[in-house]
Amino acid sequence: MRCSGSWTVDRIGRVERLPRGLAWRKGVAVVLDASAVVAMDMAGAWLLHRTARGLEHRGRTVTLRLRPEHEALLRIVTSSGVVTGPPRTRDRPRLLSAVGRRAWISAGELGGLVSFFGEMGVTAARARTGPLRVRWRQVLQHVQTAGFEALPTAALLSFFIGVVLAYQGSALFRPFGAGILVADLVGLAMLRELSPLLTAIIVAGRSGSAYAAQIGAMKMTGEIDSLRAVGVSPIEVLVLPRIAALLVVLPLLTVAADVLGVAGAMVVAKSELAMGSGEFLGRVAREIRASDYLLGVGKAPVFAVIIAVVCCYQGFQAADDADSVGRRTTVAVVQSMFFVVVADAFVLVLSRLFGI
Amino acid sequence: MTASITSTPEIVIAIRDVHTRLGGVVIHDGVTLDVYRGRIFALAGPSGCGKTLLLREALALHVPDSGSIRVLGRDVVGIGDEEALELRQRCGVVFERAALFSSLTVAENVALPLRERTRLGRTLLDEVAALKIALVGLPPSAGPKYPSQLSGGMRRRAALARAIALDPELLFLDEPSAGLDPASGREFEELVRHLNELLGLTVFVVTRDLGLLWNVADHVAFLGEGRVVAAGTMQEVSRSDDPMVRAYFYRARSEPAGAQG
Repeated sequence: MRCSGSWTVDRIGRVERLPRGLAWRKGVAVVLDASAVVAMDMAGAWLLHRTARGLEHRGRTVTLRLRPEHEALLRIVTSSGVVTGPPRTRDRPRLLSAVGRRAWISAGELGGLVSFFGEMGVTAARARTGPLRVRWRQVLQHVQTAGFEALPTAALLSFFIGVVLAYQGSALFRPFGAGILVADLVGLAMLRELSPLLTAIIVAGRSGSAYAAQIGAMKMTGEIDSLRAVGVSPIEVLVLPRIAALLVVLPLLTVAADVLGVAGAMVVAKSELAMGSGEFLGRVAREIRASDYLLGVGKAPVFAVIIAVVCCYQGFQAADDADSVGRRTTVAVVQSMFFVVVADAFVLVLSRLFGI
Repeated sequence: MTASITSTPEIVIAIRDVHTRLGGVVIHDGVTLDVYRGRIFALAGPSGCGKTLLLREALALHVPDSGSIRVLGRDVVGIGDEEALELRQRCGVVFERAALFSSLTVAENVALPLRERTRLGRTLLDEVAALKIALVGLPPSAGPKYPSQLSGGMRRRAALARAIALDPELLFLDEPSAGLDPASGREFEELVRHLNELLGLTVFVVTRDLGLLWNVADHVAFLGEGRVVAAGTMQEVSRSDDPMVRAYFYRARSEPAGAQG
């Protein structure tokens, strides 16, 4: 066989499969004549080497003819110790072992979260005994970004939720002449359930993701280790201010969402049911108990702790690559929303038990 | 290839009177230097003197204000995107922080330029990648590992394997031994020398590492105050009367890392 042209990495793709498909003449001796090859690089030399080895494997004797300047290349390739066709295996785990592995990982995550909670408690307790060092500046900064800047979003969303609820409610109740019940529906739904849930979801998406990404990136660049090295607890400077900020912010946002949600419903009540705002608000004030309102606002701090802790924890779990920071951020948001809803259901069960 | 180091070697990088300003600050004030084929050329100088910038300019990643830069016979000042791509394909680069793609394994990192720029089949792709990994002295077991699982020295080697994936004629190294311990630094130097001899690679290396300057570089240029203040072999540069060069090497040579000049 005679080879010619340039056997370089950008050209060689075309010749690659050729030798395999060739109908080799019968006989044992094969001459690979590459003396007409103008340019050769390592990939070319490797292809030549591989072809020769393949032929020898099938019991032929191969004579290679090369230009002298290409011999060094072939020597490099031959002595590299790389064997032909490293098998491309990607072991796919079986179903059972996959389930087991996931379960094991999840259990580990849960354990990690619990121990993170414990570490946080210890740090907080230590901050108590020593001179109480609340980092006001940082807390206020987080209140600003997580709360004040989230206010327009939370307000607008809850306003529209109120509008939608009132529309659905009035379509449902008006045929029975019970349009006034829209006030009960919206008031109860917003104040007790939707406002805290909605704000929690907004804050988890806005700030929780940011917390996970910030801490993850800080871990990647070694800032977390630097903090530890100068004797500052990363939990104290990074996690506690964020928890404190969300503890302040989430109840306030919830109250704002309450007000805007009811206001949205009020607008609809006026246009759809011709109910004056005074009448509407009076109905809300009469029918909604203070406990309903307090339960709703009271859930907010619980959600705040869940979001801050879960998201910071996920940030700390990030490894040293960009991929894992992204993955951890996703997990942080999904997990904190999940736990928020679980906590919400839990509160519901408790409130039923105690008849609140 | 290797034997072609004769009396008048071909100039592969010719930099003529390059001026560059960055944010109003003059960085290059008439830099002129030549890099010969098959040689290892080292650019030394204090930090902030524009060494890396010059490397970026040679790769057409930054455009100088005036002057001409010819790389592999092509004018890179005002080069088109298409041509620049083609030129960069003939050059391998290892940046200072190795910059391996963290979501890919070492083998995938090395195979990436091959996959993007050539039409090799999968097995051949894997084999060529394995070849390069072996060539930079990494064990085959390093292939399926992720960069975060490797030590700094191994990561640097992996980055080098990726840089030579397409068999470049010209290899650019930016501070290759920064952040390496002396032993791995020395091993890396030997590797660069080895590749230079083996493949006839021309190497353009930006460095502050004295071991590299003394033991590996064929030619050294010292950049200071925007121009080349001394050039030649390391012996010649170290004997320069320029106060900047003296200050740099006098203090630096007393360090244990300074090699047996």
